[in-house]
Amino acid sequence: MEPITTEILVLGAGPGGYAAAFYAADKGKKVTLVEQNPRLGGICLNVGCIPSKALLHATEILREMKESAARGIALGEPQINLDKLRDWKNGILDKLGKGIKTLAEHRKVQIIHGRGHFEDSQTLRVETADGQKFIRYEKAIIAVGSKPALPNAFDLGNPRVMTSTGALEIPDIPENLLVVGGGYIGMELGTVYAALGSSVVVLEALPSILAGIDADLARPVMRAAQKTFKDIRLNTKVLKMATAGKQIKVTLEIDKQPREELYDRVLVSVGRTPNLTDLGLANTKVTKDDKGFIHCNARQQTEDPNIYAIGDVNGGALLAHRATREGKIAVEAMLGEASAFENIVVPAVVYTDPEVAWCGLTEAEAKQKNIDVKVAKFLWGASGRALTLDRPDGLTKLIIEPESERILGVGVVGAGAGELISEGVLAVEMGATARDLADTIHPHPTLSETFMEAAESFYGTATHTLSRRSGS
Amino acid sequence: MDVKLPQLAEGVEGGTVVSILVAEGQMIEKDQAFMELETQKAVGSIPAPSAGVVTKIHVKQGMEVSVGQTLISIEAAAAQTPSPSTTAQTNPSLVASASPPPEANSEAPANVAPAAVPAGYRYESKSGMAPPASPAIRKIARELDIDLTRVRGSKAGGRISLADLRAYVQKLQHLAFAGAVATPAAPAAPTPTSPTPAEAIDFAKWGPIRREKMSPLRRTVSRRMIESWTSIPKINQFADADISALLALRKKYAPSYEKKGAHLTLTSFILLTLGRALMKHPHANASIDSGSLEIVYKDYCHIGVAVDTEGGLIVPVLRDVDKKNLLQLSSDLHALTERTRQRKVAIEELQGGSFTISNQGSVGGSHFTPIIYAPQVAILGIGQGQAKPVAIGDKIAIRTILPLCLAYDHRVLDGADAVRFLKDIIAGLETFDEADIKLK
Repeated sequence: MEPITTEILVLGAGPGGYAAAFYAADKGKKVTLVEQNPRLGGICLNVGCIPSKALLHATEILREMKESAARGIALGEPQINLDKLRDWKNGILDKLGKGIKTLAEHRKVQIIHGRGHFEDSQTLRVETADGQKFIRYEKAIIAVGSKPALPNAFDLGNPRVMTSTGALEIPDIPENLLVVGGGYIGMELGTVYAALGSSVVVLEALPSILAGIDADLARPVMRAAQKTFKDIRLNTKVLKMATAGKQIKVTLEIDKQPREELYDRVLVSVGRTPNLTDLGLANTKVTKDDKGFIHCNARQQTEDPNIYAIGDVNGGALLAHRATREGKIAVEAMLGEASAFENIVVPAVVYTDPEVAWCGLTEAEAKQKNIDVKVAKFLWGASGRALTLDRPDGLTKLIIEPESERILGVGVVGAGAGELISEGVLAVEMGATARDLADTIHPHPTLSETFMEAAESFYGTATHTLSRRSGS
Repeated sequence: MDVKLPQLAEGVEGGTVVSILVAEGQMIEKDQAFMELETQKAVGSIPAPSAGVVTKIHVKQGMEVSVGQTLISIEAAAAQTPSPSTTAQTNPSLVASASPPPEANSEAPANVAPAAVPAGYRYESKSGMAPPASPAIRKIARELDIDLTRVRGSKAGGRISLADLRAYVQKLQHLAFAGAVATPAAPAAPTPTSPTPAEAIDFAKWGPIRREKMSPLRRTVSRRMIESWTSIPKINQFADADISALLALRKKYAPSYEKKGAHLTLTSFILLTLGRALMKHPHANASIDSGSLEIVYKDYCHIGVAVDTEGGLIVPVLRDVDKKNLLQLSSDLHALTERTRQRKVAIEELQGGSFTISNQGSVGGSHFTPIIYAPQVAILGIGQGQAKPVAIGDKIAIRTILPLCLAYDHRVLDGADAVRFLKDIIAGLETFDEADIKLK
């Protein structure tokens, strides 16, 4: 059988892979995109960012309804139709997936559905519905992403023990849900289930939820979660899980004492692992680090001169937008352009309630690395807009280099933090100073004003706070 | 914590360890000097950025070290654990804050060596960040293979604009072009900056010899002299000044100056006279920017004074000579030369001179042709005043005559300019106004 030949092969059609494929096609290359899932879009679109945000938005109204009564507008009991909710969510995924397909067709990107396996440095075998196909390529980009980790001890073969993939299907509304892992996935999905009416308990082995986020940014999330969830247990481990009829018996270790509890469902959100098993990498020169992620340089080149890697398979922050940027760099590098991943910041957003978003240097990182910084903060309790939204539980902070007054990092917690952070990202990438932010007119009344006021507080002149000079 | 060699001054990339003042296991205070380093410009001590116990010394006496190299390790003493916020500030690179701001010395060696990169500027941030520049500027720099840390940003916080990058690239081209033109002119000649060493000659076959390594200072002197000698088209203009009246004035006022703790020397008089003459003749106080092909006139008058030290020639700079009176000049000059002889002069005190004098009077020199200290454009050589018969009117008198020589860069100063400048110096010395000596 004649192999298919192509200039650039992209393996995996997630936000990194399809962006790279489209960009290479726009640059005049012959591109083949291989994806095992019938719907394009990868984890992000199918079982990640998009469905989780759809569910968070849909269920937010349940919380809003409860709070609305205190503002003088009371609504009746909500009626929840899970099938309709699921259909609406899946409708979004279909629409977006078709959109990507259309964009690919217009660019003449050839799509092959099936599982890929490297035969050698320049050949990929694909197991398709129509049998095996071989693709000979000049250069390849590995963009196969990651999947939720499910430790063997928790893998009972029982669908009541779910990962995020299963939880996003909302098979039912369990009366009791245990979330193992207080990272952002557990906290986000826990919020969805709690809003739908589940009694949610979150377990975290570490001393805080959302590990790695500055304590002052995590605090409002913790405070809100303590109201939303039945319990948040820190420094707690799961020793064992077992099927017990229609429930799961979970053995916990609390204060070094084992304890048994019964849950209707368990969500395991303890991290993600790269999808690199059975990919045939041994037939190439691609190497992996001790955590199983691919080694590559700032130009996304692996040890194999014909193979590039982007996104989750490289480890680090597993974020769609990072994969997208890396995809473009990989293509430019293949075309001989002098590109490299040299963005100063990769912003991150956690869609808890309230949301947390940050970019650049964090306060914790500055302390750990002994970098002398000034932190300028603005508490949303003094923001008119935050009060009209009934969301005073927010904070905007700037991490500033004292001599140059350059903004090195930005952190926001509060309603809509994810939409707000981009101003901070632009400020850091552009090398803006606190003065630049302070002197930029921000519309009133908006939450974006909190950036300006935080910057002003660095100079001790924030209009709506009585701050010490030079911030705190 | 590892203490690294900070950037001591612009253009200083390292030096030789003269002595180590601490031992492993010893307690050290913040700012306590732990090492003496001889750089190309001076011997200086390196202060500790924080207090603690010296756990390891990574360097040895006589070793050459460069900026960023780990010198010693300090562990904060347990007894005085500082609050978290101060921990964050005990940053090894804090020492770097003691270095002068990058713009402190615009007279970087660039003007001397046409092929060199313009100025030794390098962006440094305590947070270790790359220089501030927008993603678009960084992309252009990457495409052009330009290291942005070498580009001086003119915007707030040192941000590099497209105009800054453009100016830098233009400057590089100017320099490259100037270098290309200069090279064919002397095809076989050794490059000015690196003289070809004489072929290994076995001097020992003619008699016993001993060899001594050139000190960094001697090497710097040597390099700069060659640069100056080979790059500046110079003229030596001889002159004499009758200082008999001046010496009488000095004799009259020296005791009252002594009471104020100041030595009234001939050099003080020359400095005062020079300060005024330089302000009147800005060409002599200028420099050439070979990159932009501009002449840089300076509205300040900082005069370098060549000082003979045990280690060799060092030229510290006396600031704002035109703004000081004779008493200030006398005491400042004395303090500066003393610090220099004791090798305690700071590196910044050796930079930024706009003119230099070399006075050989004390060692009995006569007329000599001094070498211009680039990027300056002129230097005044002064010999020893000697009693000589002089025709005054139609009589012969015995007067004290001071031999002078002005060496100047003909690219900037024309012969007539130089003579007029020299005449003003001579007139200033011969008819020194007593009002300028009187103590108020």
